[in-house]
Amino acid sequence: MGSVVGGRATRLVGGRTVMSPDTRTHNYLVPAIAAALAALFIYAGAGKVRDPLQFADAIAAFAILPATVINMLALSLPVFEIACGLLLLVPQTRKIGTLAVALSSLIFFAALLSALVRGLTLDCGCFGSGAPSRPRMWLELGLDVVLFSSSLFAYCRLLGRDNNVTLSASGSPSRIGA
Amino acid sequence: MRDVDGVLLIALISLAAGFSINRFSTRPLPLVYQTPEQRFDAELTSLVAAPPFALPPAPTIGFPEFRTAVEKKSALIFDARPAPFFIQGHVPGALNLARDDFAHDYQRLSAVLKAASDKPIIVYCSGGVCHDSRLVANALLTLGFSDVRVFTGGWEVWSAAGLPVSWGAVR
Repeated sequence: MGSVVGGRATRLVGGRTVMSPDTRTHNYLVPAIAAALAALFIYAGAGKVRDPLQFADAIAAFAILPATVINMLALSLPVFEIACGLLLLVPQTRKIGTLAVALSSLIFFAALLSALVRGLTLDCGCFGSGAPSRPRMWLELGLDVVLFSSSLFAYCRLLGRDNNVTLSASGSPSRIGA
Repeated sequence: MRDVDGVLLIALISLAAGFSINRFSTRPLPLVYQTPEQRFDAELTSLVAAPPFALPPAPTIGFPEFRTAVEKKSALIFDARPAPFFIQGHVPGALNLARDDFAHDYQRLSAVLKAASDKPIIVYCSGGVCHDSRLVANALLTLGFSDVRVFTGGWEVWSAAGLPVSWGAVR
């Protein structure tokens, strides 16, 4: 006998309700992903918040945004990244944090891909300043894919959990298995 | 939809926080972005009232010539990269004359420049596609120094050659 209660797959063993090993892994997976993303975003944001001028130069190198927007982004994006990291660490705000990371990773990916397609060699400024390098740009593009997929996965898991909690609260928990 | 609203709210709060931090910063950013060249022109204008335009660009030198100058100490070597990079590693004997803080660094080094006015000056930056060395070299030409050259290989070529390096505080 199995069921999903509050997003957790359970079964009855000897009169006690226990979680399957697979479910236990999933229960740790989302906080683990959130912690890794939080560490990365706080590290990336802290590196840039100290030197917004270098970061503004890195943004300008992409040749996408007008001069009126570059400094605004250079000042706010590092704070946004730190905020995302903090949201990911708190269970109550984790869902918004994962969505924010997914959306920003998608934007980073699009910007970096457009620079690569246009043949630009630049330092993306993702983790503070460094030397411009195309191999590093490809590596950071791959990192954006990992960030996007892992944050979207975590967001979907958290969204599913919330929906199940809502169903449970309304007195009709969904059931799986026999 | 509530989550998207939450993300937008965080973005707005970050924007406000970013501007607040900038307001109390020692070197606040202007509202509109200025390119390194525009910032550099502004720095240069603070040193000379009317910079002469249309100066020929500083000549470039290759690695063997640069190495000889460093080993024989026959030239003043300037590192045009920002101070944090200079601190992490630079060519032995080089002095930091950063493009981003040119007016301040130039005044700090004015005694050295006066004392070694008979020596040629060689400027380098990261290497490859960096423009800082050219900007600094042209600024020195504008300020009246006649024998100024650029080592285009820069720090990239010097460090890759496995030659001695120095690191530490800005001099």
